Amino acid sequence: MKINKLLVLALLTSIFITSCSEDSDDNPVVPKGDYENGLIVSHEGNFGQGNASVSFVSDDFLTVENNVFSNVNGAPLGDTAQSITFSDDLAYIVLNVSNKIEVVNRYTFESVATINSGLVNPRYMTISNGKGYVTNWGDGGDSTDDFVAVIDLATNTVSNTIHVGEGPEYILEKGYMLYVSHKGGWGVNNIISVIDTTDNNVGTLEVNDAPGAMAFDSNGNLVVLCSGANQYWLTPAVETLASITRISTNNSAILDVMEFASGEHPSIMTHDDDELFYILNGEVYELEDSSDALPTTAILDVSSTSAYGISVEDDTLYVANSNFTEESDLLIYDLDSASLMETIELSIGAAKIYFN
Amino acid sequence: MKNIYILLPFVIGFSTVAKAQVDAVQKLDEVVISDTKLLDYANGIKIEILSDSIINNNATSLTGLLAFNSNLYFKENGFGMVSSPSFRGTNASQTAVVWNGININSQLNGQTDFNTINTSNYSSIAIRSGGGSVQYGSGSIGGSIHLNNNLSFNEHFETALRTGFGSFNSKNLGFNTAFGTKLYSGNVAVTYVDSDNDYKYLGTDQINENGAFNNLNLNANLGFYVSNKDIIKLYHQSYFGNRNFSGTLVGPSRSKYEDENFRTMLEWSRTSGQFSSKVKAVHLHELFKYFENKDKANFSLGSVNTLLVNHNFNVRFSDKIQFKTILEYSNTKGKGDSFKEPVRNAFSTTALLNHKLSNVIRYGINLRQDFITGGERPFVFSVDAGFDLFEHYQIQINGSKNYRIPTFNDLYWQPGGNLDLVPESSYQIDLGQNFSYPHLNVKLNGYYINTKDMIQWVPNNTDIWSPVNIGEVASYGAEVEVKSHYSINKHQLHFSGHYSYTVSEDLETNKQLIYVPFHKGNLNVAYGYKRFSMFYQHLFNGEVSIIGNSLSSYDFGNIGVSYVFNQNKKVNYTIDFKLNNLYNTYYENVALRPMPNRNFQIQTTIKF
Repeated sequence: MKINKLLVLALLTSIFITSCSEDSDDNPVVPKGDYENGLIVSHEGNFGQGNASVSFVSDDFLTVENNVFSNVNGAPLGDTAQSITFSDDLAYIVLNVSNKIEVVNRYTFESVATINSGLVNPRYMTISNGKGYVTNWGDGGDSTDDFVAVIDLATNTVSNTIHVGEGPEYILEKGYMLYVSHKGGWGVNNIISVIDTTDNNVGTLEVNDAPGAMAFDSNGNLVVLCSGANQYWLTPAVETLASITRISTNNSAILDVMEFASGEHPSIMTHDDDELFYILNGEVYELEDSSDALPTTAILDVSSTSAYGISVEDDTLYVANSNFTEESDLLIYDLDSASLMETIELSIGAAKIYFN
Repeated sequence: MKNIYILLPFVIGFSTVAKAQVDAVQKLDEVVISDTKLLDYANGIKIEILSDSIINNNATSLTGLLAFNSNLYFKENGFGMVSSPSFRGTNASQTAVVWNGININSQLNGQTDFNTINTSNYSSIAIRSGGGSVQYGSGSIGGSIHLNNNLSFNEHFETALRTGFGSFNSKNLGFNTAFGTKLYSGNVAVTYVDSDNDYKYLGTDQINENGAFNNLNLNANLGFYVSNKDIIKLYHQSYFGNRNFSGTLVGPSRSKYEDENFRTMLEWSRTSGQFSSKVKAVHLHELFKYFENKDKANFSLGSVNTLLVNHNFNVRFSDKIQFKTILEYSNTKGKGDSFKEPVRNAFSTTALLNHKLSNVIRYGINLRQDFITGGERPFVFSVDAGFDLFEHYQIQINGSKNYRIPTFNDLYWQPGGNLDLVPESSYQIDLGQNFSYPHLNVKLNGYYINTKDMIQWVPNNTDIWSPVNIGEVASYGAEVEVKSHYSINKHQLHFSGHYSYTVSEDLETNKQLIYVPFHKGNLNVAYGYKRFSMFYQHLFNGEVSIIGNSLSSYDFGNIGVSYVFNQNKKVNYTIDFKLNNLYNTYYENVALRPMPNRNFQIQTTIKF
């Protein structure tokens, strides 16, 4: 059994660790409050330090506000903001270490509810046919207690759980199906769970090791970034190939497996229109949905940053240049000219970028 | 004689309450401590000794004792949880804890958890400020804390039984007995502490949900004169701890932590004329089990066993010059889920010289060379001097180079461990002035510490946190220590206070390190009249910066009264009542981990 690694170390000494994460989804914009027409950035903060936050950057970059949640609600957000999911007028902020989800109005950030029972190491959420679905690792050291929590959105409570394999991470919905990538939590897993929400039956697909970020491409296929295993500290070292894998959402058939070279382990990916963007060794690559081969040349060099999260909209690339001891930056690049347009200073531990 | 000299600080001006004074004077003759170099080779070193009477009047955790009686600053992950100090602005693994002369900092994280040491099992606790790597090895950078068990070779037999209870369903039991003749001596102490520790978080509707803990400490020490020149001594300590780990205001916890320590030392000392030699064989064992979920059987494990052999040889050339050599070999083996089975061998050779040049000037020169598995060979040195310039005025000065070797976690943790680490190295100077009058002692110290190659964990190019030698930190500051004692008729009044101003700067960012307050102060006032005594103690902790934010300063006070029944009879009883956090202050010394609200403790002691 995989047992707690860095967490123990963090608890026993004075060092801090952070959860890992990748990219985000885009969402439609509906102007209705102070935080409309701009970017919402989730800040993980430091693992165990309770300094997670959310910041806002207006579309014209002129208005920047850190700690939006606590400014509005007068209370700290919580510990390790893993992800945010938007639905209608609401935003669901998933707080990994706090084992809770803060439900707020996405435009005013006023608190609506807190879901703080029935979640254990929650990671990502999606909403399908009026219900919320949240991936949960359970105890990190236990590979058999992982689940997807079903949320009753009327009462904001966990109404059911669906048992799944180890380390469920990203979750997307299409029709009545849910797709869950199993990066593996503290270990490495290599499956995608496919859940039929009409009966909660779980099927699995094998992919390359450590599947994480997912998106639907312009052809309606599911695209998964598998980082590959890279456990160089084991004896013998374990390394497997990373891939970008396309899966049909009609019949769950694997359509394309585009493998990276040995030693390459990308972990950050986003999708916009008909292009996929990922970061490999400090460079941004662009993969057309129509292409079945990985690009060989990068479109942008971001190797001087600590890119921790990216999003793309309208040929503009947003990069969370994250720092976990000091201020982070939001870097905004024009992809046409491959040039940096803006640098916006944000508070500590910036992670994911959402369009509001 | 020498032993009296050693014990002098115990009786002059340091005792808080009258009740222990008579005992202390009666115990004076033929008291033996294991770590003689602590005072014999320390002309220019600031050392503060806390006697048993101070120990008895304070919290039984080393954290509680030192927070109110030294310049050390502590951060605790909630009451009773993992506690680590910052001594002179240094970090948690740069303070050595020394048990009867042996450095007992964990081989895994380089720290001692100050909430695992029960102070009531020790005869005295000394605080040695400044670098001490020559004498005490790795991690003695900010200073060192010395836990001493003394053996008294005289006719005595004393036993005490303590029972106490308090808020949050806290219970404690203590038993200690000391016995001896001119030929043998022994003492045994057992303490057990248990608490639900479910205090309210002031100003919220939350309580400290997952904070229950208990621990057992056992100390047993024996000594025999096998001839009039040879003493065989055996020292032992066991600790068993079982704690739930408290969560934070925004992050619940359901984890549990079990740890144990066994420390055993067999010592043979021989004194013959001007020569004395000591051979020590020591076994140290540490083990932890961390349960992420206390309701499940899964845990992660780490343990380390150290075998250590030490020989020291002392020559007293005259009343004025003495010289000591120390040879030490240690073999350390670890085993754990996250670091496999590392082994470290270390050999060190040390030379200490102490010279009283005149009635005014005393100095010492000290050298140490280590040879450690992996090829590291730290060489350290120190020089110190004391100048007794006037009757009531003394100057102490010392300079030293010190080190801290990477821990097993730093080297072998999977993932992240880095075998390329080199030891942290630190240079420092310390200047002290002591004013001593019959009723008043004042110490003023200023120091500067520069530490290079600090080991810090940062994300590497594969986003895995890994330790590297990157930091350089300058710590400097000023300390004041004041002690005063008056007795008029049967009234006894004691006062002690400490204040420190500490700057500890990352030389790259020029920012104060997190969790180092610029200001920290404490004071203790104790009053005794016949069988009655009472005390008040106060702590001021200045604001500290934390990552991206700061924690507010706080003031905190405790008050206590004590009464002895049947004093001067064969059997006597003492009843103590303490009110902790008198002002019901809300405070955190680690972010989002509130400390207890106002709470009480009652304790009864039977001595016979």
